Amino acid sequence: MAKKKDDTVSFVLRFTQKIYETESGEQNVQWRGNIKHVQGEDEKRFAEFEDAVTFMQEKLADLTIQGIEDKSPKEQKGILAKNFELWKKMTVDSPKLVLDALKDPKKQLSQVQAQVSQIGDNITQRIEDRLGQRLDIDEWRASSKSDHKQLVEKMDELTKQLADLTKTVKKLSGKKK
Amino acid sequence: MSLTTNDFDKLVHLKEHALISIETLGQFQMTRESAPVSNKEWGRDRTLQLFQFLLTSRNRRALHKEQIADRIWEDVAGKSLDQTLKVAVHGINKVLEPNRQKRTDPKYLIRQGATYRLDINDLFLDVDAFETFIAIGNQHLTEDTTLSIASYQEALQLYNGVFLPERMYDDWTSSERERLQLMALNTIVELSELLLETNPAESIRLCQQALQIDHCWEEAYRIQMHGYFLKGNRPMALKTFKKCEEVLEEEFGISPLPETKVVLKMIKEK
Repeated sequence: MAKKKDDTVSFVLRFTQKIYETESGEQNVQWRGNIKHVQGEDEKRFAEFEDAVTFMQEKLADLTIQGIEDKSPKEQKGILAKNFELWKKMTVDSPKLVLDALKDPKKQLSQVQAQVSQIGDNITQRIEDRLGQRLDIDEWRASSKSDHKQLVEKMDELTKQLADLTKTVKKLSGKKK
Repeated sequence: MSLTTNDFDKLVHLKEHALISIETLGQFQMTRESAPVSNKEWGRDRTLQLFQFLLTSRNRRALHKEQIADRIWEDVAGKSLDQTLKVAVHGINKVLEPNRQKRTDPKYLIRQGATYRLDINDLFLDVDAFETFIAIGNQHLTEDTTLSIASYQEALQLYNGVFLPERMYDDWTSSERERLQLMALNTIVELSELLLETNPAESIRLCQQALQIDHCWEEAYRIQMHGYFLKGNRPMALKTFKKCEEVLEEEFGISPLPETKVVLKMIKEK
């Protein structure tokens, strides 16, 4: 049921900010970073965030390669291609996200919060539309694992009931015709 | 919370006289009534793992059994989780209170329903003392430098290495390890600055300690250069700058900060 330990990779990322005045009297800021691979002891220093992303990409690629050793060459190719696509997206988006956060952390945080809230509202609306009743999503935002399991089971049950009802309605409307 | 000289004295007393002392920095070792607790006494590794996890989570509220399983026992669930937890809790209580009377509540490991937490008030826990000593030092930095220096020194005496090195590959320990290491680095630098004028030799030693933890810590190079300069050892001061320049170039591809170059200029000119 649970994830195998070998399928988990964690990193510790450290940023150190240096604000200084250049020789020409201009104010400047420099970021120095350090990324550690928890399960492997390796670490890398970086001044450009792209280097940290590359480091993570290498470690995750190693993990994927280990995880697909027993697959056929065709399956391996497919998985690696998907992995590559994910990383291509990550390499483009992540440095920008971090840079934006560094430039204006409050703005960035509120944007993320707004996005999360928007997603939450959309989900609530969709569930309410299907159930025909109001849901208070905040009640289960901090739910435990067992609450979540129970909720998923209830949702499955409701989906089945809805499908059965739809079938019955279709049958009835067919008879009417 | 405001901390006073009284808190400093209490902590020093607890360090010497606590019934149970727990060391987590540099190595894990528990001492009960001045005798080390052997690995055999801990029994299964899961007992020790749970104890160390509760120590790591000491600043949080009680932990639900599923939170515990999520973080440290991903392969255990349901009835098996209850059984594993029961055995581990029993093991911890046996180590902490081997002579506890039957049907009396445990003193340290508090269970409420399906939640667990450690009450560490009467224990001497090195990481907790480390943080408190640093807090005392920081709070008195402007009005009582002597107390600050003594507190920082007490704190650094406790920092014998990274947090729970035996659990280096378990990710539930990594954020605490990182947090404590940064606190240690900042405290070493702060203390070495405080001692620079009065005891440059000790200041240099502290900077070397910081560089052993992180060889890219530029402040440590800068204070060390200053320390050598004050001791009249100009060649070593210049050598330290060279080393700093090389390390920063090699690791980040950058030069030292203008602040460090100012110290270099001062050393060269005088």
